[in-house]
Amino acid sequence: MVESTANHEDKLKRIRPPESGAPFNAVEDIIYRRRSVRYYLEKQVPDYLLRRILEAGRFAPSAGNAQPWKFIVVQDKKMIAEMEEQVLKVCGWVKRFADYLGPGNKHKEWRARMLMRLNPNNFHPFPFAAMKVMAEGNLSPWHGAPTVLILLADKRSPGNPSLDVGIAGQNMVLTAHSLGLGTCWVSFVTPLSMFPKWRKRLGIRYPYTLVSSIALGYPRGIPDGYVTRETHAIDWFSEDGTFKVVY
Amino acid sequence: MPEYLRWKDRIKIESFQKLGDDFVMGKVAIDQDSCSGCGLCVPACMPRSIEMVNKKARMVTDLPLCMDCGDCVAICPENSIKVITFVELKRAFRFLDRGKPEPPRRF
Repeated sequence: MVESTANHEDKLKRIRPPESGAPFNAVEDIIYRRRSVRYYLEKQVPDYLLRRILEAGRFAPSAGNAQPWKFIVVQDKKMIAEMEEQVLKVCGWVKRFADYLGPGNKHKEWRARMLMRLNPNNFHPFPFAAMKVMAEGNLSPWHGAPTVLILLADKRSPGNPSLDVGIAGQNMVLTAHSLGLGTCWVSFVTPLSMFPKWRKRLGIRYPYTLVSSIALGYPRGIPDGYVTRETHAIDWFSEDGTFKVVY
Repeated sequence: MPEYLRWKDRIKIESFQKLGDDFVMGKVAIDQDSCSGCGLCVPACMPRSIEMVNKKARMVTDLPLCMDCGDCVAICPENSIKVITFVELKRAFRFLDRGKPEPPRRF
């Protein structure tokens, strides 16, 4: 509706790129300031804000415009607590099986190595350490967020459905931060799909797969802000046929 | 040109027993004078690497699993936290093609 009233000149003005060295625009600023929030207020997110966020997910790009996502909103405190309990239980099993850091547990190191080799994504040293911290009761998966968005992907979709769901999720995350809310990507939801009980309760059945989840709520303090981060090598095949690496 | 992992590197998996050799974990410097002791950085830190001692924040000494996400830096109302060491994995999970750290840049 806004689009139809704007004339062509206005549209051109909107898409004209800025000069070199210009300050960040609003979208860039939200992207650079976004920090994962791990400390939430009890206050529930009102429905209109949540609908606004979900709407941003709906307009994400996807392969073949197949829109292979399904979003589940969980605001039931009891249900979130039960989900956390289940995830913590799985973390406890992994810790018991392969935590080699405690005294007298050195013989378990080969098990940890085996897990890391067989499934380097789920047992990468970082999530491995996070599982240990969780199993020891020092960290809860959803950080006490009042709302949890669970993201499912439709397996039958073209290309890479999980990627499309990720793009939709990032749209929602950036929108949430622009509205003053806090979010955190939590993929520790995926163990839930191992349990028939949870598959049934969340409606995860063919063709849906559990991809990830987003914790959502009002942050405590002001967590958003710029940080320093490693630059990455970018290989650049230039127009004149030369090659360079920029950082 | 892109970096690769050789077989020699891929065979060995990092061990948490060998912090320093296999891992260089992240490290933040907390300015003890300007720290107001609000405690926001403690829950903000996912691997629980910051603790409060005598109303001042400091990094835990036993197993700091800091991965320099910068959440503590961003949440600190007094700007007393600074990331000084960036995480480095040295064996099979080594990060490739990384340059030196920078804040968001304008071009």
